[in-house]
Amino acid sequence: MRISLDKVEHECRRRDLSIGELLHESGVSRNAFYSLARKDSVVPRSLIRIAERLDVSVRALLEDAGTPVARLKSLAAEAERISKRYPGADRDNIRHTLLLLNEKPVERLRRALRRGRFIDIR
Amino acid sequence: MEFLKELVREKVEFMIVGLSAAALQGAPVVTQDIDLWFRALPDPGLERVLKKVHGAYVPPTARTAPMLAGKGIELFDIVLRMDGLGDFDDEKRHAMKVPLGRIKVLVLSLSRIIASKKAAGREKDRIVLNVLTDALKAVRGHERPGPRKTLRQRKR
Repeated sequence: MRISLDKVEHECRRRDLSIGELLHESGVSRNAFYSLARKDSVVPRSLIRIAERLDVSVRALLEDAGTPVARLKSLAAEAERISKRYPGADRDNIRHTLLLLNEKPVERLRRALRRGRFIDIR
Repeated sequence: MEFLKELVREKVEFMIVGLSAAALQGAPVVTQDIDLWFRALPDPGLERVLKKVHGAYVPPTARTAPMLAGKGIELFDIVLRMDGLGDFDDEKRHAMKVPLGRIKVLVLSLSRIIASKKAAGREKDRIVLNVLTDALKAVRGHERPGPRKTLRQRKR
């Protein structure tokens, strides 16, 4: 499995983003992205060998991290890890911050203002 | 947002501070307004922007801080100084550029917002301090890209 540049570009166009903007907002460097895009497979060799031994596709061994439940589990695990690192920190504050970090800054501000003064900013 | 876009277009030097700046960085807080710290006031660029958005700058009096009047910009408050912090140029080094739609605005870093709230020591600041410090811990502990580097960190 490899990265399809066509698909990345298509998704960017749908969101009115350039590749440069996408990489900047995702915190991924150009070098990292294009070196990944040049690879014949982004799946680790070890996983391919395990899948071959089991005679299943690599996909059969992967869990989609994009489902709401998977995202929630991942967020809870991260909140737990950070709470352990900073004893005394309120878990809800940590969890809510992590939730907001998944939003775009403008959406974070919109939420803060909406709760603060019921206003819709454009 | 149109007001902020125009400020950026006119190259007015300002940064977002206070709780709206904290919210932009992920802090789960509530705020009534967007505090703007201008490098210099009055600023000819700001005057041009206010003309475009049909707003007005209300200079400070002995009892009141300077204000912005006009539809759509009452949401913005002017800040002249930040308790416990240095001047605009000093604090600019602790600021980060945050994308807001198609523009990028300078935003005071969470750690400096906390320092300012601690120095101000008002009841409303004390109430929110725990949330801000927890948010900073969450941002620092966040695995993924996390907070953008401040201008000072980027120069290193």
